[in-house]
Amino acid sequence: MSRDRVSGLFWLAVALFAAAQGLALKLGSLHRPGPGFFPFWGGVVLGLLAIVLVVRSPGGNAPGGARLRPDNARPVVAVGAVFGYLLLLEMLGFVAVTFLFLLLLFRLERRSWTFSAASAGAGAVGCYVLFQLWLKTQLPTGPLGF
Amino acid sequence: MEIFGGVLYGFQVALQPINLLYCFIGVFIGTLVGVLPGLGPAAAIALLLPSTFAASPVAAIIMLAGIYYGAMYGGSTTSILVNIPGEAASVVTCLDGHAMARQGRAGAALGIAAFGSFIAGTLSVIALTFLAPFLARVTLRFGPPEYFALMSLGLMLLTFFARESTVKALMMAAVGLLCGTVGQDTISGRFRFAFGIRTLEDGLGLVPVIMGLFGISEVLLNLEQREQQREIFAPPTTALLPTREDWRASTVPILRGSVLGFFLGILPGAGAIIASFASYAVEKRVSRHPERFGAGAIEGVAGPEAANNAAAGGAFIPLLTLGIPANAVMAILLGALMIHGLQPGPLLVKQAPDVFWGIITSMYIGNAMLLVLNLPLIPMWARLLRVPYTVMYPFILLFCLIGAYSVANSVGDGIVMWVFGIVGYLLKKFDYEGAPLILAMVIGPMMEEALRQSLILSAGSFEIFVSRPIAAGFLAAAVVLLVLPLVRRRSLPA
Repeated sequence: MSRDRVSGLFWLAVALFAAAQGLALKLGSLHRPGPGFFPFWGGVVLGLLAIVLVVRSPGGNAPGGARLRPDNARPVVAVGAVFGYLLLLEMLGFVAVTFLFLLLLFRLERRSWTFSAASAGAGAVGCYVLFQLWLKTQLPTGPLGF
Repeated sequence: MEIFGGVLYGFQVALQPINLLYCFIGVFIGTLVGVLPGLGPAAAIALLLPSTFAASPVAAIIMLAGIYYGAMYGGSTTSILVNIPGEAASVVTCLDGHAMARQGRAGAALGIAAFGSFIAGTLSVIALTFLAPFLARVTLRFGPPEYFALMSLGLMLLTFFARESTVKALMMAAVGLLCGTVGQDTISGRFRFAFGIRTLEDGLGLVPVIMGLFGISEVLLNLEQREQQREIFAPPTTALLPTREDWRASTVPILRGSVLGFFLGILPGAGAIIASFASYAVEKRVSRHPERFGAGAIEGVAGPEAANNAAAGGAFIPLLTLGIPANAVMAILLGALMIHGLQPGPLLVKQAPDVFWGIITSMYIGNAMLLVLNLPLIPMWARLLRVPYTVMYPFILLFCLIGAYSVANSVGDGIVMWVFGIVGYLLKKFDYEGAPLILAMVIGPMMEEALRQSLILSAGSFEIFVSRPIAAGFLAAAVVLLVLPLVRRRSLPA
């Protein structure tokens, strides 16, 4: 399937879902449009556009079809690291999680242990000073109180 | 006379030491963001928005605005020295700017970019000064139907200027409208698309969505590419001043770029990127030696760099007079104004003259700061560009995380950013653009309210959009923009 067809079908599904939700929320009348009015018609428009895209896209295995797979694993690792950061943030506190996050990414980029640990430590403490102490952002504290 | 009083008042506000400081921080960070490839002004402003909560509204907006036009200055430095655009609006500057650097004329290119930016930036602020109060008076008479029609026109303009397919741009606008409906409906109080999740009940936050779409996804895309060894042309410490010959070649292109950029900046969806490309095309067409373009023509640096700065000024017009953002950056500024308790729109000049005039006049000061700051700091930026991306990107991700979390101290917002980071990455892979989505998401709730109010006003008749001349005019223009690409395609042989 061509990339346009794949994405078109995906958005068609989103559109159907939105329109269905809109119907469930009540469209109201034209005199007094209800909460479902906008989602429903937004979904209808998106669905029609998606159908146009799918119909116009070349079928079969068009060239440039499966470029979806990333050329290397780095984006996947980054996505995982960001998710892990959010998962652990309120549990371990800002400084600890930030240190681990930076350490992991530097190590994965094949930086030396010394460089990684030093940069991660400096980064974590530096951000704490900048955001928590100077800009007065409320960052989550860990079991040790920072 | 009203304007001179306003400007005078504005300078009184902008020249207060604290506001000067914020202006300086803004343009400095802006230049930094412009210099660094892979971090754009939209993500940077979203990131720093939470840190302005403690500041006064004037100071906050002055700083955030400074980041935006500061980035326009900084972007050219990287384009010229490294041949990588530091910022999307400086893509065309690579062509001739880097060619000049290869010929040992990096100094002249950097110099004319800075002066051109200053001249265009100042001219566009002057135009903004005179146009904004006038437009604010005109738009004061707009009712819900006019607003709805105008916003429809804005969305159509956005998709009209889309670089990829029109259908996909329209789809992104529709997705954005749907994203805008997430959360509590203001009229009925019902929750929409919230699924009982707390973060979604408050609606999708603009900051996390923008940082996902423009921050995280950008990093992911960069990570996929193998890092190339950057060749940086050591910047000269002297000879940054363009020669008399350079000035003769550049003056008219700078002026042309300023006018072009300003007007394209006002239009939603056009903005700095389109302005720089348009200016380059114009200069190449009117040149008597078009073959020099791409081989180090100074006009090819002066024009586009002037245009993107002028566009940055023009973009403030719809925000300050209508409360409608022209691009993603203005969308965040709109959010920032609202967070600080201000309602951008025709009433802003009356309700908060200090903010209105303070922002505008701070831009005169900011542009002057940038001119002074830019050239001496170029050696420092060049050193910064030597830091490898593998060291830089963990920090960019970290800053995005901090920014998304600290808007509302919520991990949920972080998850929203994470999701939109992946969405943004996939959109790029499938050749969609994120900009229409963001704009539609911001405009969506305003449009919905205007539409529903209009229909309540007219007792359910769509005639209200046709019988009121201004609304009808906007809608007619929107239809033309929608149909035009179809007609154009038909007339071309396949």
